[in-house]
Amino acid sequence: MIPLTAVVRICTARRHRFGIWLPLFLVWLLLLPVALLLLPIIFVVCLVCSVNPFRAISTAWQITAGLSGTHVEVEHRQTSVLVHIY
Amino acid sequence: MNEHRQQILEMLAAGKVTTDEAERLIAALEKEPTSGATANASDVVAKAKPKYLRVMVEDAGSEGPINVNVRVPMQLLRAGVKLASLIPPQARDRLNVAMGEHGMMFDLSQVKPENIEELIDELQDLTVDVDENRANGEKKTKVRVFCE
Repeated sequence: MIPLTAVVRICTARRHRFGIWLPLFLVWLLLLPVALLLLPIIFVVCLVCSVNPFRAISTAWQITAGLSGTHVEVEHRQTSVLVHIY
Repeated sequence: MNEHRQQILEMLAAGKVTTDEAERLIAALEKEPTSGATANASDVVAKAKPKYLRVMVEDAGSEGPINVNVRVPMQLLRAGVKLASLIPPQARDRLNVAMGEHGMMFDLSQVKPENIEELIDELQDLTVDVDENRANGEKKTKVRVFCE
């Protein structure tokens, strides 16, 4: 299952809190026509680089799907950044 | 016929136990493998494959402490290994040379998707703890890598 939402939270030293909820499903919907348009180009590039295009697309899909559950949190002094992909 | 069952039948033949008692003993014996299977199933659950690789870094830097907490899904690692196998041979050679120049003697062509499951199985029993101390004994950096 590809990730559908992501959360980004930033807290700065001046106690500014900023959180954003990213609807990734909308991003995928917007990218879908672009991906379809780019598909022939991807195929040609893969063939030129002697890479199986089907394997390349399958791997790209698996990487996208594998992003679900990724959590990155960095804190330094009073500043913190959090990214969580659902 | 197993040893226990034979013993029960011998006891029955010798008249040490009644038919009912022998029947109950054999029934109890038959239940044993089921409970063993349950134990095995619970072992399997306990040894469930890890879902995430977690990397935690605590650094008492000179400009204040830095904490990093990263959770990477195993699915992403699997896909990453597949991606490594897609790298064209010419590019792979250049990558190997570049990594060798930085002290990482690692051949990317040896990383195969078939080996990733083995690697993940080994990772579940692995915890890496690295503590770097300052000259005065004060803790400087602590890195912890484990699966969950």
